Amino acid sequence: MQSNKLGWLFLAPTILVLFLFGVLPFIYVLWVSFHQWNPFAANPNMIFNWADNYRAVVFDAQFLASLGATVAFVFFAVVTEVIIGYFLAQAFMGDFPGKAFFRTIHTLPLIVAPIIVGSVWKLMTTPSIGIIPHLLDNWFGLNLNIGTSALAAFTVTVVMDVWHWTPLVTLTLIAALVSLPADPFEQAQIDGAGPRQIFWHITLPMIAPALVATVFIRLMDALRTVDEVLMLTGGGPGSATRYVGVHIFKEVFPRTNYGYGSAISVIVLYLTIVVCWMLYTGLLAPRKGKEG
Amino acid sequence: MTFTRTISASALALSVAASAAFAQDLTIENEDWWKEAGAQFSGVTLRGVTESTPPSNFISDVLAPKFEELTGIRVDVETTSWDQMYDKAIKDMEAGTGIYDMVYIEQDIIYAYLSRDFLVDVTAALAEKPELKAPNYDEANLTTFADNFRGENGNLYGIPMEAFIKVYLYRTDLFNDPEIQAAYKEKTGADLKPATTHEEYTQIADFFTEYMQGKGEDIWGTTAQAHTGHPASWYEFFESVAPTFGVYNWGIDAANNYSASVENGGTMNSAEAKEALAWWLHLRDIAPPESVQSTWTEVGTTFAAGRAAQGLVYGENAAWIAADDTKSKVVGNVGVALPPVAEGVMAAAEAGEGYIGYYDGGAFGLPVTSKQQDASLLFLQFMALPEVQEEWAVAAPRITLTSTYDSPKVAELDAELGGYYSMLRDQGKLFKGAPEYPFHAQVREATAPIFYQILTGAVGPDEGLDQMAAKAEEELTTLGYRK
Amino acid sequence: MRKKSPWIYVPFWIVISFLTLFPIYWLFVISVKPAVDLFTTPDILLTSFYWDNYTEVLNDRLLRSYMVNSLIISSGNAVLCTTLGFFACYALSRFNMSGKESIFFWTITNRMAPPAVFLLPLFLLMTQVYRFGDFTLLDTRIGMILVYCTFNLPFAIWTLRPTVDGIPRELDEAAYVDGASPWKVITEVVFPLCRPGLAVTLILTWVFAWNEYLLAATLTNFNARTLTTGLSEYVTTTGTEWGIMAAISIFTLIPALIVFGMVQKHIVAGLTFGAVKG
Repeated sequence: MQSNKLGWLFLAPTILVLFLFGVLPFIYVLWVSFHQWNPFAANPNMIFNWADNYRAVVFDAQFLASLGATVAFVFFAVVTEVIIGYFLAQAFMGDFPGKAFFRTIHTLPLIVAPIIVGSVWKLMTTPSIGIIPHLLDNWFGLNLNIGTSALAAFTVTVVMDVWHWTPLVTLTLIAALVSLPADPFEQAQIDGAGPRQIFWHITLPMIAPALVATVFIRLMDALRTVDEVLMLTGGGPGSATRYVGVHIFKEVFPRTNYGYGSAISVIVLYLTIVVCWMLYTGLLAPRKGKEG
Repeated sequence: MTFTRTISASALALSVAASAAFAQDLTIENEDWWKEAGAQFSGVTLRGVTESTPPSNFISDVLAPKFEELTGIRVDVETTSWDQMYDKAIKDMEAGTGIYDMVYIEQDIIYAYLSRDFLVDVTAALAEKPELKAPNYDEANLTTFADNFRGENGNLYGIPMEAFIKVYLYRTDLFNDPEIQAAYKEKTGADLKPATTHEEYTQIADFFTEYMQGKGEDIWGTTAQAHTGHPASWYEFFESVAPTFGVYNWGIDAANNYSASVENGGTMNSAEAKEALAWWLHLRDIAPPESVQSTWTEVGTTFAAGRAAQGLVYGENAAWIAADDTKSKVVGNVGVALPPVAEGVMAAAEAGEGYIGYYDGGAFGLPVTSKQQDASLLFLQFMALPEVQEEWAVAAPRITLTSTYDSPKVAELDAELGGYYSMLRDQGKLFKGAPEYPFHAQVREATAPIFYQILTGAVGPDEGLDQMAAKAEEELTTLGYRK
Repeated sequence: MRKKSPWIYVPFWIVISFLTLFPIYWLFVISVKPAVDLFTTPDILLTSFYWDNYTEVLNDRLLRSYMVNSLIISSGNAVLCTTLGFFACYALSRFNMSGKESIFFWTITNRMAPPAVFLLPLFLLMTQVYRFGDFTLLDTRIGMILVYCTFNLPFAIWTLRPTVDGIPRELDEAAYVDGASPWKVITEVVFPLCRPGLAVTLILTWVFAWNEYLLAATLTNFNARTLTTGLSEYVTTTGTEWGIMAAISIFTLIPALIVFGMVQKHIVAGLTFGAVKG
């Protein structure tokens, strides 16, 4: 075995870059979060106020509502994306005419910038002039109004996210599936295992690391969503789609509430880490133990 | 693919290509003075940040090249979106980085900047360095709108570059249609003409929505800037609707310890404010369905698409709606009037004790953190030269110097715009910009979520205004303005 | 494995493609209409074309420099992150350093940060701390390439780790026994076997950098502005120029498609590799 020094050498650039552009800014945010600081307050300076911001966050009904909406959004979006993404990736494993063409088409949503995605979906869903409410009304007599109905706006944000990011799940799962060795599958078929058994006992355990990594990425990206939703609904109607990313944006950008916004960010970051850590240890670590 | 290009007959072709053509038409007086003044700054590059609006585009496409040609000073203007612009300018000035030598200041943010001493006192700076004072530049030429950019000492902290009023637009083709007039007379007993009171406005709006929908046409009686998640709706209510009911300055009384609620002496939840909100919410209900997703852009486009018979529209949009046939379907059919008001409000506005609508605009200011303040002073004066104003007013419907009203091209345009410029000149004093608050965005963002809930019906309008008044006071206390 | 006719997949893919393409088709529809024509009862088919939005975009020389910046920043960042990520994954996979799993988890926490509030410290660091004489990282392409590492490098590490872990160690060890240097093992044994994972990582990091908006909007001014910030120029208090935004977006699809086409081949290459290995 090679010496660990070489390993550290390979890791060093990564650690350095992430320290300079990730950790140091975080330390600054943490520091600001213990201050009352709004540059347009009567006193524009930073005033150390211990944990007052954190105390306020816990009782901030608006923040809690925003967090609740975010959890629902992330849950529905990510679950849908993973299920659809997996089936599409499986479907791409077979051979069929025009496969490369269809795969290219399927990846197109990824290259549309989020602010454009938000704009297009806004124009597609605006009441009376958008194509989607128009068709839903013509075909099914449904009235979709994202300007007044919280449920409609919520659904559209989820559908938009699924449209935009399912290809990411598909792509990473294709990469995982193509590198699977063929032997266990052949062996299982010889042993007479059905497709369901193969999925649960062979495919899923083998792609679990890639799957978990993908779920993580989607989970944390969905939690941070800002541009798309801001363009689509502005966080409305009311506060229905004011997800934490949007909420923080509105606190620190227009409202310049730097101190409080930092505290919210730290809490959101903390919660994200905890959730991901639980998922990580719960889903991956026991399996690793079993193998090792 | 064939690229066809419709060239607008109107003078309002706002495209880059079109406005670049104006550069040759600009003749600057005292060219020698500019050459001499610029000599000491040769090789300097000034950097500004602004929004990508037609007046700003004129600066970067026409004024900057001309200025560089004369003085050798290069001007780079960064254009960005509405919310990004403030954030970038504030970060730069707050951190003292000195990236920008000029920042765009919308009228509503100037008081925040002044409270932080972000800006250079232009009047004082020019008095101190007479050698930099351009011969044709004179503060006295500026319209009264410039007063919005004066500090407590009366000195100018920003050179105005755009100014608009939010006007009442109506469709002359519909209002003058004999058949419609007869139907209106039959239904209401009144003659169809632009409203002067809220009751008349509602009556006309109700009539048109019912009449046009009955005929299966996509025309509604009024516009409404009623987005349920964007501050545009908050602005329409507090800056355009509430004042016409006599509720001024967002209902916050600065002289009385920044009180907002009635019980503390404010008017944000007064009977008049509640009446105003009820009136406006009714209009929202009979406006085109897209109104619940409409910011200023969509309201303008809704009107331009011919989907509303009347409405309150920002002046910068009024111009292209009325005259640019590449963008609007109602060219030649747009009338301009003063917004309808409650009894006594007009008299109060004429006496200078109130206002009937929103006066909007912006200026260029010079950050104290700029490293090229002297060269910037030159460019700021260049923007306010009388000889560049006429072409500028044609390229973008804005007027900041009194003399510009009399120029022939502007007079021609005035007729095309249904008398918009005359109204700006003669009745501009009845309108007012945002109140003099350094906490503009803070109070807006604190109260807006409640306002959106009112719009969705989650909170009743009256309770909603009560909650907003309480929230505004809470925010002002947190910020330290309210004791 | 399955004996069904390959053609049965085609109708399914046509339906999926239709759903996937519809919003992009609508983007095109928006780009060839004047704004005022969008405000009417919508028609699913295009009946007329209005090219002014495209002439405007073609005439805008600033957009061309934004395009160049975007290409350089996203390609530079994708290559940097994929390379650093690959080496980091090799270290995490093949060495027994203490605390390596914690480091692995720590890397991903850098991607979790809500971006809005981190803009101020990044702005301050790039203007006042990371400076060399008059040179600051603000508004430079290299600065953006480095800043984008905060979300792309963790992503690269997390998507590559399963791939690198999946390459049997026996292969490395056999090479070492034959006297190969670590460098040779990595570049000639492990790297070729990781191609599908590397291709996907490269594509996706490229996409994330290409689409990023908030950081670029704050941390670039004149020299390193990217296409997404160029798009936001059309969102103003006066109006949002939907048509021009859409026209630019249609343009931006072209370089993105080319990059995709170049990299996707390697996923296909990976497919054959999987078959051979089996």
